[in-house]
Amino acid sequence: MSFSLDIKYAARLLSKKPSFTALTVSIVAIGLGLTLYTFSLLNNLLFTPLSFSDGKPVYALERPYDHTHLERRDLMAIDVYNLQKFTDIFDEIGMYQMGITFVGGTDEGLRKYNSGYVSDNLFSFTSVQPILGRTLVEADHFEGAESVVVLGYKAWQTQFAGDPKVIDTIVPIDGSEPARIVGVMPENFAFPAVAEIWQPLSHRAVSPSERDFVFVHAFAKLANGVSLAQARLFIDTKSKEVNDLVGDEIPWLIGPSGEYFTLEPFKKAYITQYYGMFIALLIVVFLILILACINVGNLLLARVNERIKEVAIRVALGVPKKRLILQMLWESIFICAIGGFLAFLLAGWGLEITNQVFDSTYQVDNLKPFWWQVGLDVKSIIVLVVAIFAMILITGLIPAWRALTGDFNAVLRDGTRGALGKKAAKTTRVLVISEILLSCVVLVMATILLVSSYSAGNADYGIDTENRLTAQLQISPSTYPIRFDTEFEAADRLARTKFYYDLKRELESRDNILDVGYMSQLPGTGGGTSFFVIEGQEKEVIEENPYSNNEGAGTDSWDALGMKIIQGRDFDYRDAAPEARSIIVNESIARDFFPNGDAIGKRVRRANRPEADWYTIVGVVTDTYHGSTMEFSSAAYNTYHSMDNAGMFRAMTAIHYTGSEAKARQTLFDAVNKIDPDIGVFHVQSYDALIEKPILLIAAVSKIFLICGVVAAFLAASGIYAVAANSVQQRTQEIGIRRALGSTDGKIMRLFMNQASWQLMIGLLSGLGIAAWLINLMSSTMIFSESSYIIGLIAMPIMIALMVLIATYLPTKKVVNMEPSDALHHN
Amino acid sequence: MTTNNNEILVNLKDIKKVFFTDDVETHALNEINLQLRKGEFISITGPSGCGKSTLLSLLGLLDTSTSGTYELAGHNAIDLDRDERARIRNKEIGFVFQAFNLISDMTVAENVELPLTYRSDLSKEERQQMVQEALNKVDMSHRANHYPSQLSGGQQQRVAIARAISGKPSIILADEPTGNLDSKNAQSVMSLLDELHADGATICMVTHDPKSAARAQRSIEVFDGKIVSDQSTEQTPALAL
Repeated sequence: MSFSLDIKYAARLLSKKPSFTALTVSIVAIGLGLTLYTFSLLNNLLFTPLSFSDGKPVYALERPYDHTHLERRDLMAIDVYNLQKFTDIFDEIGMYQMGITFVGGTDEGLRKYNSGYVSDNLFSFTSVQPILGRTLVEADHFEGAESVVVLGYKAWQTQFAGDPKVIDTIVPIDGSEPARIVGVMPENFAFPAVAEIWQPLSHRAVSPSERDFVFVHAFAKLANGVSLAQARLFIDTKSKEVNDLVGDEIPWLIGPSGEYFTLEPFKKAYITQYYGMFIALLIVVFLILILACINVGNLLLARVNERIKEVAIRVALGVPKKRLILQMLWESIFICAIGGFLAFLLAGWGLEITNQVFDSTYQVDNLKPFWWQVGLDVKSIIVLVVAIFAMILITGLIPAWRALTGDFNAVLRDGTRGALGKKAAKTTRVLVISEILLSCVVLVMATILLVSSYSAGNADYGIDTENRLTAQLQISPSTYPIRFDTEFEAADRLARTKFYYDLKRELESRDNILDVGYMSQLPGTGGGTSFFVIEGQEKEVIEENPYSNNEGAGTDSWDALGMKIIQGRDFDYRDAAPEARSIIVNESIARDFFPNGDAIGKRVRRANRPEADWYTIVGVVTDTYHGSTMEFSSAAYNTYHSMDNAGMFRAMTAIHYTGSEAKARQTLFDAVNKIDPDIGVFHVQSYDALIEKPILLIAAVSKIFLICGVVAAFLAASGIYAVAANSVQQRTQEIGIRRALGSTDGKIMRLFMNQASWQLMIGLLSGLGIAAWLINLMSSTMIFSESSYIIGLIAMPIMIALMVLIATYLPTKKVVNMEPSDALHHN
Repeated sequence: MTTNNNEILVNLKDIKKVFFTDDVETHALNEINLQLRKGEFISITGPSGCGKSTLLSLLGLLDTSTSGTYELAGHNAIDLDRDERARIRNKEIGFVFQAFNLISDMTVAENVELPLTYRSDLSKEERQQMVQEALNKVDMSHRANHYPSQLSGGQQQRVAIARAISGKPSIILADEPTGNLDSKNAQSVMSLLDELHADGATICMVTHDPKSAARAQRSIEVFDGKIVSDQSTEQTPALAL
């Protein structure tokens, strides 16, 4: 009965001040909503291990991630094969390689699929049964075995219209023998991640008898009772063995510290390059949650200060301590419960939008891992409930503590007395400093991440993207085979190259096409750097040499991209010769390493292979960036070798057009059909869309950071003002006393501003220290732009300083403007 | 500001104080005329809400009147700016409040020193000497390093009196100085005020307590914002104009 009275009383207090209630509930909803959203996102993408029906976590077994090329690196097949013997460590190990396969068999012609070249145990590993036919078997790997393919559900539905008699259909596979369809897998099965069809790995991969250059990725489950730490310890010893065995012979295979095998949770391995960003996001959101807690706790503390006489009366009437604490907690319970419910709705809505973003991001290439379907699950609910309880305790115990530690005798003796006790004053100072510290960390981090990702999205890649269409061209290996290591190899390569130039001439003859260019990866995409050696400037340690991105480029490709040759010459007929070793470098390389303007004629080679050929610099082009400017893979240095003597199987084209983009697309397809209708034309899109692609995920996370930044700024501004104003408010009588004793307005203002400045300095310095530490942690996987540092580390602290000083100045001025007699009798 | 004995220290003429709350006018003080001489010990009595504390606030320059004139030691105290009023409060007036109004974060010595720190003409040594003298006078020097929360109510009020006299003001204004004290402590505080008066201090005290009022030389009674009685309890010169 008595509890129901307390509940009713708390509800009545909240309903009496609707704006206060709305504000606190909003803060709780935003803080909890962001936390729940981020946890659910990361829980799905990272925290919850990938597992199948047996519940055992799946691990990725591969070489250490290559941060300079943004690549997961595979292992030599024989090393994976050898590990399979250790059944006391690994329950099961399978192998795969991902690739693109074109499948025919219907009137529509070839269709492009993400194909998993896998070991046959992949299917038993997952315990997933086919819905039609069979999966792969050991015999499918044998040399001379019939070529087979297992279809994914989507391929079966879209290309074969869900035909139940599709099994045993022989379908043409571009570049290899026709294959027999032997099975169809159920809907949503795409293991290892994005597979749409499955083909068997070669026998050399799954059962290697000697060490040759066959590379595979691997997936594994640990044996019962073996921990991840134990397994890692084991593979470290195996890495050492491989190092001892081939370290001298194949030095590039092993890392500088002898690292070779790595064992990572399968989901984590898939997002290694974004791992730092996700963890940063989690930290920022957690700090926002604490900021929200302090804000709400402070608002409730201010309420208790307003109600301190009521509390004193309750104490005088003999309220038990537990009951008093509970009384103080009821308001928090109401606020956090309602806020928690709203947070649930907000997070669910955010996750739904995220799924839409994922779907649209990977619509073109179907490269969304099958587990990237985020939502609220039982774990999310548990986290929400725990967070609500924690928030109730934090926000409720601050005012409860105030209620328990007040000098109620003094309060009751003097109705006007509200002077701050020593402990309460210390608490208020701690609150102000905490608020400044947290605001600083959150705002600095959110700003740096936001500005960096914005800069990446709006970076000047050194190219002109206006009226530029891009596409991936892929020639058919059947039509244009290369007879390797024969006298025909050079001619075969030139035959491929001829196609590209035929198409270029055809397109440029059309009225609406100005220029056509080719590159292996166009500026703004791709990326990946390698160390190169300048003849005469070799460094003893490979890593001390400069590094650059290297692309194949076609002759006369620069205009189509808005690039220009600024020194030397373009590629020409001389570079098509098989023995030709010409290279064009960009302006930055020429400026930084050949300051006398004498780059032309100098020679460079790749640094990691001493036997690599020397290339002669024949020209210098304007600077461009490959890859996102936010990633390590992007480099200011670019080199281009001629694609003419390479006979590229696949190339990116950039087409500078006039008129509409739609017409340019049609022109491209018409021209390809005229020259060779079997040529694959994929991913046709504007240049702007192409550049956006690699940073779409970063851009999406940036938007979350933007929300975090706005929320943090709102919480920081309102929280700092509320805490500082509350602090001044509680010292109204003290101001009255000081004025009664003869202090001038200026002296009081200076006193309060000085105290605020000290708190500001402590909070800011601590906050900047923590932010710098966190940024340093993240900078191992991300590059932050200079402007982000300037805005984050200078502008944000200035903004916080202004907020604190204004938040102190205004309420202090208000109290100082009161007549001293009013301030002395302030309640 | 210096004065001679029997010189008029405070001269209020036609003082009015009106509070405006929403559209309601409340006349807290109405046509108050009052003169206080140097060395007088005056009590102001009256029922709750009669305006006696408001009168004390006006005397102490803690509040401003709606109309009328106020001269303190022959100087106009009405048209002063805020800083000038603060300077006069600091040098000429010592306050003793019912609720002591000590700053809880400061030690006893720091509280007593506080008004002296607002003066630029005192060195640290001079301030410390004045603090010591004031604490000796109220017999609280042994508690100099304690915090207010460590003292009894009577001790806190003694510290407040030390703070009031530390700057050697022209007048001490006491608002119900015994209101929060038991009879023993109240007796002790009143004895202290008697001693200060005997040493030449001018004291103006608002009180409910007839016994305390009886210890003053002159007793003024306020009712509904007006002085209704002004009596000398020791046949010393007193003027109710």
